[in-house]
Amino acid sequence: MNKLNVVGKREPMLDALEKATGRAKFTDDLTLPGMLFGKILRSPHPHAKVLHVDLSGALKVKGVKGAICGKDIPKKKYGIVPMAKDEYALAIDKVRYIGDEVAAVVATSIDAAEEAISRIRVDYEVLPAVFDPLVAMKPGAPVIHEEVPNNISASIRKEFGHVERALSESDFIFEDPFDTQAVNHCPLEPQAAIGMADHSGKVTLWSSTQIPFFLRRNLATTLDIPESKVRIIKPKVGGGFGQKIDLYAKDFCAAFFAIKTKKPVKFVYEREEVFTCTRQRHPMHIQLKTGMKKDGTILAQQFKVVADGGAYNSTAPLMITLACYFIMLPYRLENLLFEGYHVYTNKPVGGAMRGHGIPQVRFAVEAQLDMIAEKMGIDPLELRLKNAFLAGEPHPAKLLVQSCGFSDTLIKAAEGIGWKEKKGKLPFGRGVGLAGASFPSGVSNMSHISSGAVLKIERDGSITLLTGAADIGQGAETVISQIAAEEMGVLLEDIRITAADTEITPLDPGTFGSGVTLRAGNAAKMAAQVAKEKLFEAVAEKLEVDIHQLEARDRRIYLKNQPEKGLSLKEAIKFYQYSDRPMPIIGRGSYLPPAKEPTTLLKEDGNFSPAYSFMTQAAEVEVDTATGKVKVINMVAAHDCGRAINPMLVEGQLEGSVVGGMGQALYEDVRTEKGQVLNPSFLDYGLPTAMEAPSISSVEVETDDPEGPFGAKESGEGTQLAPAPAIINAIYDAIGVRFKSLPVTPDKVLEALSQKEQKKPNTKHQ
Amino acid sequence: MKHILKLHINGEEYEVLTEIHKTLLEVLREDLGLTGTKRGCDLGTCGACTVLIEGRPYLSCLTLAVDVQGKKILTIEGLEKDGELHPLQKAFAEKGAIQCGFCTPGMILTAKAFLEEQPHPSEGEVKKAIAGNLCRCTGYVKIVEAILSVTDRSSEFGVGSSES
Amino acid sequence: MRLPQFEYVEPKTLKEASKLLASDKGSLLLAGGTDLIVNMKHRVIQPKQVINLKAIPKLAYITEGKDGLRIGTLSILRDIASSPLIKERYPTLGQAVREVGAYAHQSMGTLGGNLCQGNRCRFYNQSAFWRGVRPPCFKTGGKVCYVVPVRPSGGPKSKECHSAYCGDLAPVLIALDAQIKILGPEGERSLPLKKLYTHNGKKPLALKKGEILKEILVPPASGKTLYLKWRLRDSLEFPIISLALHMEKDEKERIKKAKIVFSAVGGGPVEVIEAGKMLKNGLLDEQMIEKVSNQAVKEISPMRTSIHSPAYKRKMAGILLRQALEEISSESLIRSNSTL
Repeated sequence: MNKLNVVGKREPMLDALEKATGRAKFTDDLTLPGMLFGKILRSPHPHAKVLHVDLSGALKVKGVKGAICGKDIPKKKYGIVPMAKDEYALAIDKVRYIGDEVAAVVATSIDAAEEAISRIRVDYEVLPAVFDPLVAMKPGAPVIHEEVPNNISASIRKEFGHVERALSESDFIFEDPFDTQAVNHCPLEPQAAIGMADHSGKVTLWSSTQIPFFLRRNLATTLDIPESKVRIIKPKVGGGFGQKIDLYAKDFCAAFFAIKTKKPVKFVYEREEVFTCTRQRHPMHIQLKTGMKKDGTILAQQFKVVADGGAYNSTAPLMITLACYFIMLPYRLENLLFEGYHVYTNKPVGGAMRGHGIPQVRFAVEAQLDMIAEKMGIDPLELRLKNAFLAGEPHPAKLLVQSCGFSDTLIKAAEGIGWKEKKGKLPFGRGVGLAGASFPSGVSNMSHISSGAVLKIERDGSITLLTGAADIGQGAETVISQIAAEEMGVLLEDIRITAADTEITPLDPGTFGSGVTLRAGNAAKMAAQVAKEKLFEAVAEKLEVDIHQLEARDRRIYLKNQPEKGLSLKEAIKFYQYSDRPMPIIGRGSYLPPAKEPTTLLKEDGNFSPAYSFMTQAAEVEVDTATGKVKVINMVAAHDCGRAINPMLVEGQLEGSVVGGMGQALYEDVRTEKGQVLNPSFLDYGLPTAMEAPSISSVEVETDDPEGPFGAKESGEGTQLAPAPAIINAIYDAIGVRFKSLPVTPDKVLEALSQKEQKKPNTKHQ
Repeated sequence: MKHILKLHINGEEYEVLTEIHKTLLEVLREDLGLTGTKRGCDLGTCGACTVLIEGRPYLSCLTLAVDVQGKKILTIEGLEKDGELHPLQKAFAEKGAIQCGFCTPGMILTAKAFLEEQPHPSEGEVKKAIAGNLCRCTGYVKIVEAILSVTDRSSEFGVGSSES
Repeated sequence: MRLPQFEYVEPKTLKEASKLLASDKGSLLLAGGTDLIVNMKHRVIQPKQVINLKAIPKLAYITEGKDGLRIGTLSILRDIASSPLIKERYPTLGQAVREVGAYAHQSMGTLGGNLCQGNRCRFYNQSAFWRGVRPPCFKTGGKVCYVVPVRPSGGPKSKECHSAYCGDLAPVLIALDAQIKILGPEGERSLPLKKLYTHNGKKPLALKKGEILKEILVPPASGKTLYLKWRLRDSLEFPIISLALHMEKDEKERIKKAKIVFSAVGGGPVEVIEAGKMLKNGLLDEQMIEKVSNQAVKEISPMRTSIHSPAYKRKMAGILLRQALEEISSESLIRSNSTL
């Protein structure tokens, strides 16, 4: 295969300069003439019946053009997972967490809207609330949703192999509890939407969203209008990380009011709303039992997971299922019993967040593996290498793993951190640790995962590319353009990409499940192939050769064996046109990940992702034993993403993920008290600043996956699975203390160190 | 009641009819259409709203517009001169220091102010200078790289090391 | 989050500002704005009139004379930190400035504003919506303090506001025996900076109607001073706890004078007097350090005004003081902060 020309290059993002000059338009940067501004009234109670909403005070405020509450909207439930719809845009009869939406107003100014909100009077009947998922699961707990009397809105009990037998055959059994905290995505751009309606009642919504097509579907449902009457356009998005997957009240209200008032309507969330009324990572209680053979083989794992879901489902069934299935990689595991529960509580809502349920369980597995390694006298690196899954191996859960560089990532990460020289050898207070993980490149779930692309060859040699893919800052548009350019034989600058407009661009499942490069990239590649072939046909005719002898590269089409013999792209197009072939020259591509059965992950076994990425991260930490402060000095992230379409962007994903994972390990915690978030601001929520950032080296392991476009797999989410356990394992190497709950704050470290002082020296567990 | 404010922004004089209680951020974005300056938290805790006033970084969400009349205000839109990008803008783009781009305007302006205060900082000093500009996407690595790369370039840009 | 409406004035002299402040009950002073504007957005304060001090000339200066260092209260924090005079003669003050918030806060903030910053509490420094979940507290005009939990036995609830003072500069300046000069309707007066703080959460400053801080006077530099700030992240945050330590020794290395002042543990900066007394005439050895640290912890009563527990604050108080005493007793004292 020829060396790649565009793919594999470190290209700046296509819109980097637009962003650097302030020209890039995010949703709140857009204005439409006559635009109204909206605000939402939220519940101050964690659990209450809404008896009566009096909007009259709001309507009297000068500038107010409309006010609504639950009784004014269609009673249409929605939810990101069709089988788990449990939300209304505005409370119909009940509020279920502090912040739940009750009413909304629009006005000619934000000041008037805020004033109006404060004038709305609501009569509530306060109900007993429940905040602990373990309590919520028990009989007698307050019922949060009538349809789910035991508050367990999603659960999974899945067995692969024979766990009981495997455990009885184990030489060692380890059983440990783990706890992870609520983490907020903290996209720098708060959620926002602008709605506009035309005279026929067709709504256009500009929304800071990760999935325009799902949003369209959900919006159509909640507005009770056909999908064809809804158009979603995605402007630049200032980060999502999973928090912009769902339909939010701001989307609904912007659209609803746009139709009602016949004016454009903008809703933008405050930072506090982002912290409390959008989504967060599910806190989890995890019980993990692992059976080991004395030679270091992992025989069986048994999980009991309780995820604190907050007041609504969001991605509940998908999240709990992913958490289960992803124990099955990156290690060879023949026997797994996973019992998982997503439990309602009267607290902020859990949703998809970078890794989607997997980081929590991955933390448990990787932290425990180190404990196991120590107890069994095996080096943690060796233990992982021994159990590392290999490409092409038959997988107990029938996953089709065609490329797997996991072992390589283990070796490279260890090398990078200086494992041999440092592990167990650094002075007290300094240590290294590592952790491995795997992630699907685009989960085939919900049977809605086709991606389409349209590519048009323009007369001047530029390429117009339409894709439904949603670039939220990760560089999707750039990567897809690189893929299209490579296939078409042009340069990156020749691609003009239009994306994420449901009216114009083809369907795409959106930015979640880390499948954009694979799905949309493949679709673009296919579209380019089709268009290219049309051109090749014409060129083959002119050069009197066979179509298969041609190749496109660097804006030329030429004979593979005789590169001098060929045409420039422009010449080819001209010839095509003058040969009376129909213009424009268009190619369409539609990619559906090949699952053997149409696997809906939630119901059937089988391969549910076209490819799987693998990674290992190694951390070096320094612990100040006087104060308990942990500083991450260095992180090495070794990542098998198949092929890096754009190495610079892949690094960007790794680095961002690592710091996010570090945040989860050490600094971040959404603290609640009786259902109220205590720290809903950047001042008190520990989002890492530049001061906390470690030095990070990225190592790419290229395994050239057969399914991925040019061999590429995901690199956006998997990278956030390993940092936390790597750091926790490094802390053990530094001070001999094992942590089983996150975040590991200085006070926890001090507490653990003082307890260690008081106990016998060779105790392993706290 | 509305008042006329005279604001000096990016080398131009603006007259704005607006309310006294508006912050500079609100006036920039809503009255003047200068949307390059972003609202990330509105409470001075994220740095996305950073502008330069008399060369110093200010959180425009905590600055009253009426308070800065007559002062030289620089927003991200004013950084480009006669079609020439500022070295920081180029470096940020080239080095991959921009992902979603929301923190970028505030980040670049803060870096600009800092480098004018301290033209040859260490990595640690750069990190401290931008500590008030939060970024969730990049992990700060390439941002720090981009800022440091500009200090290597003396006053000429375009002479960068080929991609490391 | 919009600001409430208000009248806006730009007095040209401090006297004028003082008169305006005295005349209207609902007036507040605007300096840098990093405290005032946030509180206004949160609606914990809604002044009828905002008096901008920045138009008053000659209130920002840093000079040194025979009687010591004089800093005008409208001096910008960053200017204080980068002043060659401060760097050379009072470096800890500069270092403390560099710990305030982040770069932009230091560019906007003033000395006076920082000294007079509002007390803080996790129930107070929140938006109107957040606070609307419960009835208003003392500090916002209500009848209860949520920091003091209601005892199950039904014992007496607190009748006062327990919000904490969290400024970075006051502890250092108090440790340096700074004096503050105030201008009011009745003229000027001076008093030790320490006396500016009432330790009353609801009315934390001992200022009469119309009084405005004008100048800080710090006695000529002597001895060694340290400022240690403890927080989760190394920027942005207010202190979980912080302390300023000032010590002067005689020729025989005996401690002539010692002052230890904490922030974020009380309604004002808290000087642990007994602990300081213990140091006097003593030698700074391991035993002394232990003794003093333990004593200091006894003299502070942190409350649960933030998400961090009082027990944790106490623990960190002891640890930080120990660190400070160890550092101050070692040869090379000052961490180079000239380029921070």
